[in-house]
Amino acid sequence: MADAAAHAHADHAKPGFFTRWFMSTNHKDIGLLYLFTAAAVGLVSVGFTMYMRLELMEPGVQYMLKDGVPNGHLWNVLITGHGILMMFFVVIPALFGGFGNYFMPLMLGAPDMAFPRMNNLSYWLYFAGTALAVLSLFTPGGDGLTGAGVGWVLYPPLSTNEGGMSMDLAIFAVHLSGASSILGSINIITTFLNMRAPGMTLFKVPLFPWSVVVTAFMILLALPVLAGAITMLLTDRNFGTTFFAPDGGGDPILYQHILWFFGHPEVYIIVVPGFGIISHVISTFSRKPIFGYLPMVFAMIAIAALGFVVWAHHMYTVGMSVTQQSYFMLATMVIAVPTGIKIFSWIATMWGGSIEFRTPMLWAMGFLFLFTVGGVTGVVLSQAAIDRAYHDTYYVVAHFHYVMSLGAVFCIFAGIYYWIGKMSGRQYPEWAGKLHFWMMFIGANLTFFPQHFLGRQGMPRRYIDYPEQFAQWNFVSSMGAFLSGLSFLFFFGIIYYTLRHGQRVTEPAYWGPQPDQTLEWTLSNPPPEHTFVTLPTPDMWDHRGGHH
Amino acid sequence: MRMKDVETTGGGAEAPAPDAFGRPDPPVLTLILWPNRSLSRRGFAWVMGIVAAGLALPILPLLGTRAGLGLIPFSAAALLALYVAIRRNYADGRLTEELRLWPDLITVERREPGRATRRWHANPFWVKVRLSDAAKIEKYLTLEGNGREIELGAFLSPEEREALRHELDEALARLRVDGR
Repeated sequence: MADAAAHAHADHAKPGFFTRWFMSTNHKDIGLLYLFTAAAVGLVSVGFTMYMRLELMEPGVQYMLKDGVPNGHLWNVLITGHGILMMFFVVIPALFGGFGNYFMPLMLGAPDMAFPRMNNLSYWLYFAGTALAVLSLFTPGGDGLTGAGVGWVLYPPLSTNEGGMSMDLAIFAVHLSGASSILGSINIITTFLNMRAPGMTLFKVPLFPWSVVVTAFMILLALPVLAGAITMLLTDRNFGTTFFAPDGGGDPILYQHILWFFGHPEVYIIVVPGFGIISHVISTFSRKPIFGYLPMVFAMIAIAALGFVVWAHHMYTVGMSVTQQSYFMLATMVIAVPTGIKIFSWIATMWGGSIEFRTPMLWAMGFLFLFTVGGVTGVVLSQAAIDRAYHDTYYVVAHFHYVMSLGAVFCIFAGIYYWIGKMSGRQYPEWAGKLHFWMMFIGANLTFFPQHFLGRQGMPRRYIDYPEQFAQWNFVSSMGAFLSGLSFLFFFGIIYYTLRHGQRVTEPAYWGPQPDQTLEWTLSNPPPEHTFVTLPTPDMWDHRGGHH
Repeated sequence: MRMKDVETTGGGAEAPAPDAFGRPDPPVLTLILWPNRSLSRRGFAWVMGIVAAGLALPILPLLGTRAGLGLIPFSAAALLALYVAIRRNYADGRLTEELRLWPDLITVERREPGRATRRWHANPFWVKVRLSDAAKIEKYLTLEGNGREIELGAFLSPEEREALRHELDEALARLRVDGR
């Protein structure tokens, strides 16, 4: 036994800068590292889109020229880079790695993650993956130029024929990101299952940890499939195997099936942690407990499960039988049911509540509206017959940006404004947060709503140029993109100001009384280095007494 | 760590049985304390089953094909990693403190994975049970006797430690009053 002595539990020496940030095993520090890295990569990735929207502002190629000739390869590289960076290195790391690491253990009352050193490994694998992804932009690629321009889905035979090592670096980048996510999800699953505070049974866990663990299970089931698929791509490229090459008995369509078996869960992996954040924000600023806790949990589980059986709706046009297409149509439409449960439960939470329109709440309500728009166009696209016309048009681009750029990203901003006081001990200026919201809300809608029209008019995606008749809405779309881009820069300004000069917040629960206060609101701002060394007791987190 | 082999006060003067920890007669009180682990063994089996089924789903239609061989190693590795991780987490929590009480002997053994078992014994007549609010730990429970002060159940919740204190106090009081 340990001899009793105060010094056995005395404060550890405060770690130095290098130890704290480069050798961190503290879930809060690692969460912050994820958030900051994701923000930096996000800036790069948003930079790509600004350049692309600038090019698309007017018909003809004005900016992406090489020796006076349109540089289509550069365009392809930017499209690919934007997709890969946003999917694997910005949104998932921010929501799952950042907020998941920081707040899941706090809400569970766990002292840290189950495997703090593996947590550190996850972060640095992610960082190394990011480095490879960025490096692949500058190494020799296809068309005798630098970078890989095959699209984030890496379909063969395009990806197997792309020259240079840029493609291989991109594959390794995704490998590392996948390994990082799998280790992270194992850590989160173990923490969630085995380290909940005494008395916190599964259905008393707050919704954010639930959303994170549902995501973790999806990652654990989907990412190994992706790793297998891209490894086969790698051997097809470098070792003469023919997994996906028809001339050697392989099947390129099989790659699409395997990729989308991962890829569809992936889009839920991106957005489900956001569902958790939104639930807390809406409950807090409506001053009401979340409506229908149990259906909310089961809706997330159902969305995750259904996400694994609908993949081929991404590939209606590859020549599947009518029966197969009918199945994937029906299964896809079923997802609207659990999603509807969530949307209506959020609305019911606000119903009759005493709503306060603070910045996080604005983001949450913006998310609610825009995610619904994206969901509805999703139901449209789920129809195999209609998809014949919409496949690979800007309608699809509009749809998935409504659920991701406007859905998941709004969740990230809601989370940042909701918790920045908790994480930093300083509060952002309310007017600035609101200005950021309105700029982004208007800008993103201006960007993506006209793309529905462009898609319906038949404008295909992934091209550097377009005919005259698409000029008007493309111009509007570009203007919207610049406005959102500006709001993103403004956001960095807000963060800088807040961290340096923001007003200090000392009240642990600075958003005022909450009907279902979670454990992070019992801690100081920022929380001490070590939290819940003594396990929390049920009266600290169970505000309803007994069952829901 | 403070440790004295020399008996200080009269409390422990009466030497305990040669091996205090292998004493054959049944103690009047046995308490085993372990840290909180919220996943039951049954739950563990369910989790592994669900994950295995989920990972098998994309592999089943590809069994017997080359692409199946490409997927199996990664899925198997993910399943194995989850299994090892949860087992390791159980092992990390396989920390127990066993307290046994006889009329003339109290022993505490602390078993931790990867560490030698740590032991303490004393004469219960002189043992002091203390509950204090230490700097870091609320309701820190300690036992003092045989020249040493040890902590008990530092991994428990404050309420559990308070209940434990009551139980120990009562058992010790009973022993002191009527020796059982």
